[in-house]
Amino acid sequence: MTETLDFIAEYATYLLGSGVHTSRVVRNSQRIGASQGVEIQLMSFQKNSIVSIHDPRSGESVTRAVRIHPLPISFVRNSDLSALSWDALDEKLSLDEIRQRFKELTAKPYIRPRNALLAVGLANASFCRLFGGDWISMAVVFFATLVGLAVKQRMQARGINHFLIFTASAFIASLCASVALRFDCTAQIALATSPLFLVPGVPLINGAIDIVEGYILNGCSRIFNALLLIVCIAIGLSATLMIFRNTLL
Amino acid sequence: MIAVDILLDGLFAALAAIGFSTLSDPPRRAFPRIALLAAVGHALRFCMMEYLDTDIASASFIAALSIGFGSLWLGYGIHCPMTVLYIPALLPMIPGIYAYKTVFSLIMFLQSLNDPALEVQYMQQFFLNATVSLSVIALLSAGATLPIFIFNRRAFSLTRRRRN
Repeated sequence: MTETLDFIAEYATYLLGSGVHTSRVVRNSQRIGASQGVEIQLMSFQKNSIVSIHDPRSGESVTRAVRIHPLPISFVRNSDLSALSWDALDEKLSLDEIRQRFKELTAKPYIRPRNALLAVGLANASFCRLFGGDWISMAVVFFATLVGLAVKQRMQARGINHFLIFTASAFIASLCASVALRFDCTAQIALATSPLFLVPGVPLINGAIDIVEGYILNGCSRIFNALLLIVCIAIGLSATLMIFRNTLL
Repeated sequence: MIAVDILLDGLFAALAAIGFSTLSDPPRRAFPRIALLAAVGHALRFCMMEYLDTDIASASFIAALSIGFGSLWLGYGIHCPMTVLYIPALLPMIPGIYAYKTVFSLIMFLQSLNDPALEVQYMQQFFLNATVSLSVIALLSAGATLPIFIFNRRAFSLTRRRRN
């Protein structure tokens, strides 16, 4: 039974770390528990979780508190590991089999940083267009995003504090975008769009989902975290705006 | 010309959604559906705002609702949870310009504390832009999540391979 508990604790914290909203983690873990004939209760905070397992046949229960390690957000893992919990139940998989599949699914590679760089650059340029930017400002935003995101990736690789990373990347991206002020184009839109690739959309929406599904504390902590990052983006952008405020008016 | 505008709007929204989604590492099989949802949602909001004179908050809510229902329908075929499809599809609707103006007017407010007329003007702009940004973001997530409550049994079993 402790073996099952250890696996479910690992599974649940892995999902929580990869940006899955709380109710899905709870449902998936309980489903895996059900496939092994045990009941699971899960309590989760932003940095730790408490997992409790109860065997209705013997009446035994065991509880463990585990740490949630921050991982990169990954929707591939979200989909695959959710599917794994259904397979465990439908195909009556053994614990070893589930553990084996879990290892294979979590070993899949993440998207390469270079590919992400290009894709996000194009995305932010399209975003600029959606706000009414012209071709010149789209080009400026594309390059500003490349530089900003590259800075973010380098800093993340060195394990620098999250808030510093967001402030610095927003500052550098908007500073690069301020080149648009020299051209005859929609420079304000370019400036406004350049740091937007940093907006933590996934935690914001996950937070909202958690709140409406009744995990209010978890949802608030997610949203609060996202808001702090947004404040950091605003500070980085403000630094650029302070430098160029006379040109902007 | 109207049709071209709408198509272009959808196209750029799809590009933006695909690009931003790479930051959250979605399954490859989900890309075409994310693009479709983002294009339909954003183009719908564009049409409502341009041709029906709807305000940005209500238009965003209805667009998010359509993305939410769309992800419930499209997630079925590829075993993806709704959130995997709708979070990237919502991203192009984030009200970036209002957010930017919020920051800008706050800075200008702090710079014009000696001038009562300007001060009031910037404070007013700050509240206007902050209110719009916050309500649009709240309505986007509420709109897309609503279908989960209406069809919760179906929403919770999208990744199940064996259907009962």
